[in-house]
Amino acid sequence: MTLSLFIIYKAVLVILVFLISLVIAMYSTYAERKVAAFMQDRIGPNRAGPFGLLQPVADGVKMFMKEEIIPQVSNKFLFILGPSVAMFTSCITGAVIPWGTSLHIAGHDFALQVTDINIGILYVMAVTSIGVYGIMIGGWASNNKYSLLGALRASSQMISYEVAMGLAIIALVMTTGTLSLKGIAAAQTGWHWNIVYQPLGFLIFIICAFAETNRTPFDLPESDSELIGGYHTEYSSMKLGFYLFAEYINMFISSAIMSTLYFGGYNMPFIGRLGLSPNTMAILGVVFLFAKIFFFIFFFMWVRWTIPRFRFDQLMNLGWKILIPLSIFNMAITGFIILVLHK
Amino acid sequence: MNTLIILSALGIIALFAEIFRFRKALFPLILLGLGGAFFFTAKEYNHPQIFLGMMNFDNYAVIFSCAILIIAFLWFMMAKNYFLQETSVTDHFALILFSLVGAVVMVSFSNLTMLFLGIEILSVSVYVLAASDKSNVMSNESGFKYFLMGSFATGFLLFGITLIYGITGSFDLASIHTQVAANHDSGLVIAGILLLMIGLAFKSSLAPFHFWAPDVYEGAPTTVTTYMATVVKTAAFAAFFRLFSTCFAGVTGHWTDVLWWMVVLTLFVGNVSAVRQKSVKRLLAYSSVAHAGYIAIAVVSMGAASTSAILYYTFTYSISSISAFTILFIVSRHKGSKDISAFEGMSKANPLLSFAMTVAMLSLAGIPPTAGFFAKYYVFLTAINAGNTLLVLIAVIAALVGIYYYFRVIIAIYFKPEQQLVPIKVGPLHRTVLIITTILTLLFGLFPNLILGWI
Amino acid sequence: MTVYLFIILGVFAILSALMVVFTKNPIHSILYLVLTFFAIAGEYVLLNAQFLAIVNIIVYAGAIMVLFLFVVMLLNLNKETEPHKSILRQLIAVIAAGILLIVLVGSLKGADTMTIKPFAQNTGYIENLGQVLFKDFLLPFEVSAILFLAAMVGAVMLGKKDIK
Repeated sequence: MTLSLFIIYKAVLVILVFLISLVIAMYSTYAERKVAAFMQDRIGPNRAGPFGLLQPVADGVKMFMKEEIIPQVSNKFLFILGPSVAMFTSCITGAVIPWGTSLHIAGHDFALQVTDINIGILYVMAVTSIGVYGIMIGGWASNNKYSLLGALRASSQMISYEVAMGLAIIALVMTTGTLSLKGIAAAQTGWHWNIVYQPLGFLIFIICAFAETNRTPFDLPESDSELIGGYHTEYSSMKLGFYLFAEYINMFISSAIMSTLYFGGYNMPFIGRLGLSPNTMAILGVVFLFAKIFFFIFFFMWVRWTIPRFRFDQLMNLGWKILIPLSIFNMAITGFIILVLHK
Repeated sequence: MNTLIILSALGIIALFAEIFRFRKALFPLILLGLGGAFFFTAKEYNHPQIFLGMMNFDNYAVIFSCAILIIAFLWFMMAKNYFLQETSVTDHFALILFSLVGAVVMVSFSNLTMLFLGIEILSVSVYVLAASDKSNVMSNESGFKYFLMGSFATGFLLFGITLIYGITGSFDLASIHTQVAANHDSGLVIAGILLLMIGLAFKSSLAPFHFWAPDVYEGAPTTVTTYMATVVKTAAFAAFFRLFSTCFAGVTGHWTDVLWWMVVLTLFVGNVSAVRQKSVKRLLAYSSVAHAGYIAIAVVSMGAASTSAILYYTFTYSISSISAFTILFIVSRHKGSKDISAFEGMSKANPLLSFAMTVAMLSLAGIPPTAGFFAKYYVFLTAINAGNTLLVLIAVIAALVGIYYYFRVIIAIYFKPEQQLVPIKVGPLHRTVLIITTILTLLFGLFPNLILGWI
Repeated sequence: MTVYLFIILGVFAILSALMVVFTKNPIHSILYLVLTFFAIAGEYVLLNAQFLAIVNIIVYAGAIMVLFLFVVMLLNLNKETEPHKSILRQLIAVIAAGILLIVLVGSLKGADTMTIKPFAQNTGYIENLGQVLFKDFLLPFEVSAILFLAAMVGAVMLGKKDIK
């Protein structure tokens, strides 16, 4: 593969991943309303376009048109940096996710993954842990008590749940023997999904994923009834849009990661028996992965409109006193079983 | 290795004592465990073992581990009553046991990573213990100061290790020794050695890196201060000497001059500052700084006899210190004051306390027939053998200053008018500790070969 | 190419480290420190140590600095309350640090004549790191468990309320 071809292929892939993330985030807002409406026996948005399909576009236009307000006392640079960091970190995670196997076109191999680094999972962890800065900086720069409280809640919550999440991932890595997301996805052919080997780990992971994305029942950083809007109280216009958007992208990305880590990624049982050509298989793999992702996004919404919010001390108790011991237990059990099997 | 395992297990058992409610049984269990650890350590005498190239349990390590275990045993007997009044007694004991693990690692390391880990385990536990009297501002300040200064010193130590690693390509003491000898004129070696020395001087409170010591010693609970002055100091010097005698004995030209000046400064600062103190605790703190200076003389004049001199000095100093601090603890609890005036005229009503304090003070001052005299004698002997006559002269003058302030306490006890005739209540454990330490101080003073013969 | 990148990142790291010290606002100091960690992580990547780079970001930038930020925000330290230090103290500090700098520069200047060990291509890979950590350095790895346990017990002990 020549260098120019390589660059074009990577650029196309990056832009595709980026666009898909944005579009899915956009339509997640629509889906959220529709799901909420369905659960509450309403109709939901139905005015803009057929079935209200243009509603996200209308929302976006509205966001751009709104007046931009920067509080006088706030630190202007940090005030703008906050949402930018939030958006940036949620966008760069997609780089390590294997969206499919590879396509063979004109004698070249095009892997459907932007980059395969040998520490993919850790990269995801690192980006997640940086994500909290967006919220903290924004909340602090707003110079508002509610914003600050929201930011503090967000950071303590994310740090606490990162620990359990990391420990759950360690157990997973022990079974797979690699940190590369590509390797993990490739190892789960057929029925060998990791959920079979790591049910407890998955339970911990999904709970932590809810907490990391600040979704209900862990949406304390922005709990409107207590903190008005939490860390983005002072934000308006597209900067507010960035925060909300970042949340939806995070939801999409964490769904993708859950599908890749525990639900086989692009794999589907029995599909290998159909005897399809590799390229068709690759495209089907992408379809399967997105089907799994959409299921998880729906799950996120399902939970949001079903379960009420935690109290903050309950949240901390759950994180430190239940999830972390559980994940350590999971790790020990995993290690024990591996030891027995290999003896 | 057995020592490490036993001590770690004891620490974890201590943590479980809170959950499974056998706090009452914990104290005898710990004493038993320390005894067991002592037994298993002593069994390795003359059977040097190397563990994974990281720890070398040679006779040096065995003897110093045994010394530390004995001191810790006495310390537990002394500190039991204090900690039983605290709510988190198990945590305190667990931390002390973990720090003992650190101390054992510090005397037996054969790899710089182990040295670092040992120092950190010891320090982290003691930082917390120094701040353990939570309602006392002084204790908080003490813990915080110790923590900040200690981490700063660790930074120097790590930087030194980095530079040494950079030039030798190894953390292993033996290969560092050969590599350093091969590259002895490199600037990196000199800088690395100096930075290592600064880090270790912080930990063993050698001037000019002693500024934390008086405040930390004064603020921390008296029992913790005792621990710092005895176990921590012994381990720090054992590690200091082990590192420098194994790795840098071939390049003494690079570091002895610097250490020489540090010793002189320490002797001067420690003794002169101690003269002006009213509080016995602060006096003992400065005296501990001064004693660090005396011990370091044996490091400066590195020779065949240095090891035994350091062992003898640290061990006897620790025993006398435990005695002195125990009495300070008893008296200050009774009188509510740690000043010298609290000791005035207590000789008639409290003959045991007075006698034990006198022996401890005489030993710290270095008056025969106590052990402190021979401690100083052997240290000076190494210096004279190495040709450091000037250093000995300075040290003798410093010791004379020392006699002055130690005698202030003795004079207060015996020659001041009696203020109170009610005898101070001494618990059976404290009584035992005092009797043991006093007897040992006198015994080692009369028969120094009881210790010297081992190394 | 990589050499220039290395130098640029190094300069960036040093400059942001200096800004940590020179800015008056503690929040800004912390954010500059985060930048420093990122620059250092970049250096690690250039030295083929991706694992160290990512762990540096997760642990330092992602966890420790967030805690710093947390504490500063909670205590509301954004006022410049630092007491003015006397000139004499500042002078002593400058002299001491200057001497250390001279010693380090002097010692490093002599280092370019040394033989450099050949660079192994896969030194920083996580597989090799695991081999080293769990074979050569197994004992320090185990002993560090005691260190963390002690630190944890200490933190809990200082943090918990006394039940009288």
